[in-house]
This record gives sequence, structure tokens and C-alpha cells, in this order.
Amino acid sequence: MSDAITAGCAFLAVMRRDLTIYLSYRTRLVSQVLTSLFSLTLFYYVSRLVHVSGFSSPGSYFGFVVVGIAMVGVLYSCFSISELVRQELIAGTFDRLLLSPFGAIRSVIAMTLFPLLYSFLLAALTLGLGCVLFGLQLHWSTVPFSVPVMILALLAFLPFGVLFAALTVVIKQGSVGTTWVIALLSIVGGLYFPVSLLPAWVQTIARLQPFTAATSELRHLLVASPVSEAPTGSLVKLAAFAGVLLPASIFVLSSAIRLGQRRGTIIEY
Amino acid sequence: MTTPTVQAPLSDAVVSEHSSAGAPARRQRDASSSFPLAIRSVTKRWRSDQPPVLDGLDLTIEPGTITWVGGRNGAGKTTMLRIAAGLIEPERGRAEVWGVSVRENRVRYQRLVSFLPAGDRGLYARLTVRRQLEFWARISMMPRARIRHSVERTIDAFDLRQLADRRVDRMSMGQRQRLRIAMTFLPGPEIVLLDEPLTSLDAEGTALLLGATKTVLAGGGAMLWCSPSDEHVEASFDARWLIDRGRLTPA
Repeated sequence: MSDAITAGCAFLAVMRRDLTIYLSYRTRLVSQVLTSLFSLTLFYYVSRLVHVSGFSSPGSYFGFVVVGIAMVGVLYSCFSISELVRQELIAGTFDRLLLSPFGAIRSVIAMTLFPLLYSFLLAALTLGLGCVLFGLQLHWSTVPFSVPVMILALLAFLPFGVLFAALTVVIKQGSVGTTWVIALLSIVGGLYFPVSLLPAWVQTIARLQPFTAATSELRHLLVASPVSEAPTGSLVKLAAFAGVLLPASIFVLSSAIRLGQRRGTIIEY
Repeated sequence: MTTPTVQAPLSDAVVSEHSSAGAPARRQRDASSSFPLAIRSVTKRWRSDQPPVLDGLDLTIEPGTITWVGGRNGAGKTTMLRIAAGLIEPERGRAEVWGVSVRENRVRYQRLVSFLPAGDRGLYARLTVRRQLEFWARISMMPRARIRHSVERTIDAFDLRQLADRRVDRMSMGQRQRLRIAMTFLPGPEIVLLDEPLTSLDAEGTALLLGATKTVLAGGGAMLWCSPSDEHVEASFDARWLIDRGRLTPA
């Protein structure tokens, strides 16, 4: 029991470390808020400029895309883990984590806490700015339900970040592939436009991964967008991704570290 | 070569941590393997077309002793330390702490062993000295109740009080090295592995290191100190070896 508490404290220590480092760069938060603001402004006017089929009003498309913008931030956070691991390798701190009783695997998992929490807060901020500055209409009666769905979505997305972290341990490069994966997921995940506009075979891909289901479900809860799939189906899909892929990704990360230790490349960066 | 008369600065901090982390481990020791650290027939080869950097290397260290291993650059000192620390795996052979390898019980192994790598890496540039030590204490899974006390004692023991709230990226190389050494001794390890620990250290820092060393040895721990030569080392080594062609020879 005391070991579990000590491990819990170590998890929180990693999050606190990341928060401290984040706050030491004073302009970061301002920069992130401005980025959200510019995206909102851009899509606010785009929603007024074009009449999009499938949306009853410019406001409904704006609501649709605001949730998409928030989800892009979440995606970036999930995939940022590989870059964080890369920084640890360069700084030589990954060795220390590996040689600590807490260990490298738990440390990498703990490293995801701050970025995910931060992306969660940034998503809330984006929605808040959308409401205050651009008249976004939130469906307040179902907004509280979006919190557990978001947590489930994060658990379903997390394995993808952990897999890229494992890749980083092997090939020593942080952002290889992550940028185009995020761009691809933005398209097939329907973050900026409905997936129904895409060719049929792309729609099949869209249905196979968890990002479309999560975004669609959150849109339904936050701005009352219609859903193409029953909510239960989306939630089961997210739970299945989290339940299967999370242990699998941790196994892959563990194997990558073990391989690095056996070959001696774990010390390289 | 004599040890300077230095007041052991870490006595309370280290001994108190030994009593929490080290003692249960000691109780589990296998009576047949009474060496704090044993490197048994370790072979490591970086490339298959080149000779091994370690070739069936054997080394055992008795409780309460400090062993020095020297040798030219690239002889294999750091590789040996990395294997002993559990950072990399040998092709053949194994490193044991009280008869247990890192594969058999990683957490216990890492609780007992502390490794100071060569160079100036392994620090978070944007964290202060105190935050760095607190973080390391938690990652070392020290008991919660002892962390604050141990961190403050370590800050005093390594004369880091004036630097406690200074960020690492604003410190000199020597100050960073002192912090790295403080982190190495903070969890109260039984076995300490030091790779060129005197790099960038001034006389005061060296004295603090030697004091901490004496405390670990007095507690029945063991140390392995590697450096190219022992010319400037003022520690009293109980054994001296040179590493050459992957094997140890008496120095």
C-alpha cells in the first residue's frame, strides 16, 4: 500500500516538474491562447463566408469546427510524448529515470499527465473564448457529460503517443511522422469538416480509428451536433481502444527500452 | 595517497535512509552471496567485427570498501559502470547486488545502487536545485515523510544552500557537478558507482564528495570509482585495478 502511495507521489512529481518547466517559459501560455484565438477568428469568418451543406446555419458549422479545433490540441498533446522523451534522451535525464526505482515505463506514462491535462484545459479555454467572443452556443445540459467522455477519449488516444515514444527510444528522433499523422487524423477524424464529405473508402478509415468517434460524441454533448453512430457504440469503441491498445503500447515501449539496453543504444541520443 | 580529514557531512541523512530503504534489502540478502557488488564474467561487444570492450570481466567489491578502476580512454570503464548500474545489458555474464541481478528484481536493485555518470548531463535545466532534489527523491521512491528533511540535509551537506533556489541553467559547471553528486547520494544508496566524479569540482567540492564517500563505507556500503588515472584523487582506495583489453589487472 505504501509503495502504491509512493508511486502515486512519483507520478505527481513528474507532473509538477512538467508544470514548473512549463511556467518557467513565461510567454508559452500567451502564445497558446493567441493561437486558439486566431483559429477561432479564422473559422468564425469562414463559417460566415460559405454555406456548408448539412449545417442549418453558419453558427452550427462554427460550433462544429470549434470542437474540432479543441480536439486538434488534444491530438498534439498525445503525440507530444515522443518529443518529450527525445528531450529526456538529449538531456541525459532519461538514463536517470531508467535507473530510478520508479523506472522508465512509469516515468513515460507519468510524462503524459501534464500535456493531457493541459490540452484538456486548453480545450475548455477554446470553447470559453468561442462562447464569449464569438457567440458559440453550448448545449449546457449535456456539457458535464463531456468530461468523462473526454477522459475516455484521452485514454483511447494515449496509446498512439506511447507507441511514438517507443519509436523515439529506438530511432532517437522525436517528431518523425507525428506531424503528418496529426494532419491525416485531422482529415479522417472530421475535425474541420464532416467525414460524410470524404470518399467512401476514407470514410471506412474514419470509422476504424477512435478520433472520429470521440470528436463526434463530444460535438453531440457540447454543441448538440447530430451523431451518425449510437452514443453507446462510440463509447464502447473508445473503451475497446483504451483497453486493448494501452497495455499493448506499454508492452511495446517496454520492449523498445529493453532492446536499447541489450544493444547498448539506450545511452545514445 | 591519503584521505583528507573531512567531517562526514552526510552521516545523518545517509544513515537514516539506509534504515528505511537499505535495511529491508539487507535482511533479504542471500548468505551465500555476501558481496555488495559483483560483476561476473561480463562480456560486452559493441560491434560483432571488433574485439569485445569487456571480455569476461570479473570484479567483486567487499562491504565497506572502495575500489578504483583506471585505464585509458575507451578502455571500457564507463561500459562496466553502465552494466553495473543496470543501464545496459552485457552479452554474457551479469552484475549482482547482494547476489541479485537487475533482471531478477529491478526495483530493489535500483533502490540499492546509485550511479553518477560522467559529464554534466542528467539535470533539468529549468528546475532549481531544491526542485531537482525533491524530484529525484520522489522518483527514487523515498518514503514521503523523509523527503523534505532529506532534501534539506543534502542541500546543507553539499553546501548548496545559497544555490537552493537557483535554476540549473544559471549555475557553473562545478556547481552542477556538486548537485549531480548530491543527487547521487540523496536516496542513501548502499552501492555507489562514480564515473570521473571530480570533473569540474573545486577543492571544497572534492572534500564534500570524499566525506559522503566515507559515510557510505562506514555504513557497510561499497563504492566503485572510475577515472583515467588516480593522480589527482585524494581518496584511499582499498583496491586498484586497471582495465585493459576488456579485463582487469592489478594497478
